Amino acid sequence: MAAPVPAVEICNLVKDFKTSFRRQPLRAVDNVSIRIMPGEVYGLIGPNGSGKSTTMKALLGLVVPTAGRCAIFGKDSLQVDSRNDVGFLPENPYFYKHLSGAETLRFYGRLCGLRGVRLRERVNELLALVDLEGARERRLGGYSKGMLQRIGLAQALIQEPRLVILDEPTAGVDPVGSRQIRDLIFKLRERGITVFLCSHLLEQVQEVCDQVGIIFQGRMIREGRLDDLIAIEDQTEIVLRDASPELLARITTLVEQASGTTLVRTGKPRTTLERLFLREIRHDQQ
Amino acid sequence: MNTAAHPPLTGSHCRRIGVIAAHAFTQLARMKVFYFLAIFAVIAIASNFFDLPQHVGPESVGANVLRSIKSWSLGAMTLFAVVLSVVATALLLPKDVEDRTLYTILAKPVPRFDYLAGKLLGVLLLVMVSLGLMDVLMTVVLQIRTSMVVEQQTAMAAAMGYTPDAIASLRGETLANGPNWSLQWAVCAVFLRASIMASLALLVSTFSTSTLFTTIVSFLVYFIGHFQADARDFYLQAGHAGEGSFARVAALAVSLVLPDFQLFNVIDAVIEGQMLPLFLLGKLALVAVYYALFFTIASWFIFADKEF
Repeated sequence: MAAPVPAVEICNLVKDFKTSFRRQPLRAVDNVSIRIMPGEVYGLIGPNGSGKSTTMKALLGLVVPTAGRCAIFGKDSLQVDSRNDVGFLPENPYFYKHLSGAETLRFYGRLCGLRGVRLRERVNELLALVDLEGARERRLGGYSKGMLQRIGLAQALIQEPRLVILDEPTAGVDPVGSRQIRDLIFKLRERGITVFLCSHLLEQVQEVCDQVGIIFQGRMIREGRLDDLIAIEDQTEIVLRDASPELLARITTLVEQASGTTLVRTGKPRTTLERLFLREIRHDQQ
Repeated sequence: MNTAAHPPLTGSHCRRIGVIAAHAFTQLARMKVFYFLAIFAVIAIASNFFDLPQHVGPESVGANVLRSIKSWSLGAMTLFAVVLSVVATALLLPKDVEDRTLYTILAKPVPRFDYLAGKLLGVLLLVMVSLGLMDVLMTVVLQIRTSMVVEQQTAMAAAMGYTPDAIASLRGETLANGPNWSLQWAVCAVFLRASIMASLALLVSTFSTSTLFTTIVSFLVYFIGHFQADARDFYLQAGHAGEGSFARVAALAVSLVLPDFQLFNVIDAVIEGQMLPLFLLGKLALVAVYYALFFTIASWFIFADKEF
């Protein structure tokens, strides 16, 4: 059986930008290589200006690599037909304010060659997926930031792409909207869609990604499976529910008796501020 | 997400260009650009009252007012069409880049030429619809006024003892100043001039950084276009400077790149009641198609390598 074609293959990508007269060109991306297999969720993380967006733009053919090459499902990303299989949500997108949610999806669908019943069904399906059925006829000028991100995600999915590229999908979105987008990414993964996202919100990347790359000053400084990267190899965690003080004392004694093992920490695990916030909001709504 | 259940997506260049053109038209229409039609209506109606002093006689009764209606209406049409084509084109591209909506479009399987051609056709569609509406308004006003003038002239000529032949001849002359096919061809010439300006603005906007710059440069070229033929002739006939082969090649190169808008002054003859032959309109159409294609292809060359 032949090996599957990678959804994304970036090989030794270099991108220089011209700066003002007689100055050295600015190297935004320096010899970056990324390989994402179909069905994976890959997170590219790094601080602002580290080259994340430029890498994505090179993958979409919006900028031409100075060196190296990018391919989507084996097709060179400078070829227009490579975009048949990709959906893109840029950072802070401002879609056409004069269009309604449904009109926006119809516009992008028609650009991809959809029409008739198939387009109508697809628009309805996506509006339901991103929970915007109630705002389908409202113009985007009246949408909140979170709604704009969700309609942006819907337009990215309009032609049923096998790869979705998300550039800072939750930038400027409140925790509720952020959670909705995170849930949508989970749904995409369940459907077998490859997701390539970049963000500097590390907690969110940790929640959704299988693979992670850390980019800094244009260079990939670490890459691999998330579980491998964040696991502390020489430590083991046991989480108990309703454990009595006596049981905890016995466990502690057992550990102290074992040679070569040290008890690093005991205590109550903590939730995140985001989870607390969402729980309180839901509780208040009920 | 069962892709196997659906046939593969197909999208022709024409269809994509049509989608982008329809969208650009909707976008501009929802910016309420059609409000200027109200101003045009005021101009068309007000031009009824710009009647100059004239000799008393059936030949001159109302003749000036018919010219005035055509002159003001065609003048306003030219102004609106040129301003609309330049400003709308200059606005659309930078706005898409600034709002990053361009990323979402070019991230779809949309060739850059399709995007440019779609935007240009959307603007031209808007100009065409606007001119069509203004044309209808002008024709209605002119028709009503022509009927009134003919009636007035006939009554005066009959009272002054004109023969039926003389009255019929007078009537024919007046009707030549009313709505006719030449007037419609003149409106087509206005559209052709606006098409050249829209494609020129498209070219400028592919390398310009602002709407203001695009608008100013486009109008500068428009202004030069009204004088370039005279300047070229003057240069070629001005002694030694214009005698060499270099001078002739340079003059030819200038005329190939810069449109000669004086060609479109045939509209003035229509205002004076003369006929505009169809072959002349065909010649103007060829000139307009040449410049529109030239500017659009040049835009594509620049836009194809542009990074965002």
